[in-house]
Amino acid sequence: MRQAGAYSGILCGGISGRTGPHLLPLARIKKIMKKSGDDVKMISGEAPIVFSKACELFIEELTQRSWLVTMQGKRRTLNKEDVTSAVLATDIFDFLVNLVSET
Amino acid sequence: MQHGNSSNSNRNNNIINDTNNGNTTNCDTVPQPCMVREQDQYMPIANVIRIMRRILPAHAKISDDAKETIQECVSEYISFITGEANERCQREQRKTITAEDVLWAMGKLGFDDYVEPLTVFLSRYRENENERTSLRGEPILKRGIDYGQMMMAPYGPAFHMGHHQGMFDAAATAMGGYFRDASGAAGSSSPASLTKNFDPFGQFK
Repeated sequence: MRQAGAYSGILCGGISGRTGPHLLPLARIKKIMKKSGDDVKMISGEAPIVFSKACELFIEELTQRSWLVTMQGKRRTLNKEDVTSAVLATDIFDFLVNLVSET
Repeated sequence: MQHGNSSNSNRNNNIINDTNNGNTTNCDTVPQPCMVREQDQYMPIANVIRIMRRILPAHAKISDDAKETIQECVSEYISFITGEANERCQREQRKTITAEDVLWAMGKLGFDDYVEPLTVFLSRYRENENERTSLRGEPILKRGIDYGQMMMAPYGPAFHMGHHQGMFDAAATAMGGYFRDASGAAGSSSPASLTKNFDPFGQFK
């Protein structure tokens, strides 16, 4: 079914649908980008597309690291504390420290 | 377009939520409006969970608060990168945040492992777009994306729906997508008979 939507996109224009099975909604990404600062003016059409893939990679990495903590605890349920531990243990996730520390 | 949650009427929730950190777990009695998590500032949780499940073994379980936390982290990630990309735009006196700005910001903020796969992803997207727009009205011969190749047959006058035989050659079977959209063009052919042995994606299995 995805190809059907992909084809009709040629007639409609726009970037949704035809660029393949994005897992994350581009309009929502754009909204979050705009909210990131009062002075965010314009966003190219490609920027949310890059983010849709980047967020996949990000979720995968954060999940992977969190699951390692879960396994170390010999558990099968990934919980919030595992995510917190993963964030604290990873330098590039420093920007998340405040977010995961709030309870 | 995407049809996500668009509850634009509850602007107040945004402000209250920021100080509450969208905490849904503290309601002992009837949840007050201020306790509702404003969903349109996050990626849909179902999508987030689906991506997580690609990494986790089948038996793994995920707590609700872990799902919500990761959902929040994604939004924070987008804001973080966008902020840096936006600063660069302003320094260079440009008004539009481009894909390159986003990639640059990721590299600068430590996500350089992502830059290469994203660059490949972006160039495939662009290739795809260029073929689509520049070949409008002519046969689109190649539509390669990350996710698989698809051959599309001409959709001009040469395409004749009367021919049952013609529908089953390699090029025609690949245009299942078109056929499904052009339901009006079926003409005298009975849709049922055409689709009976019709496996447009057979070659991709």
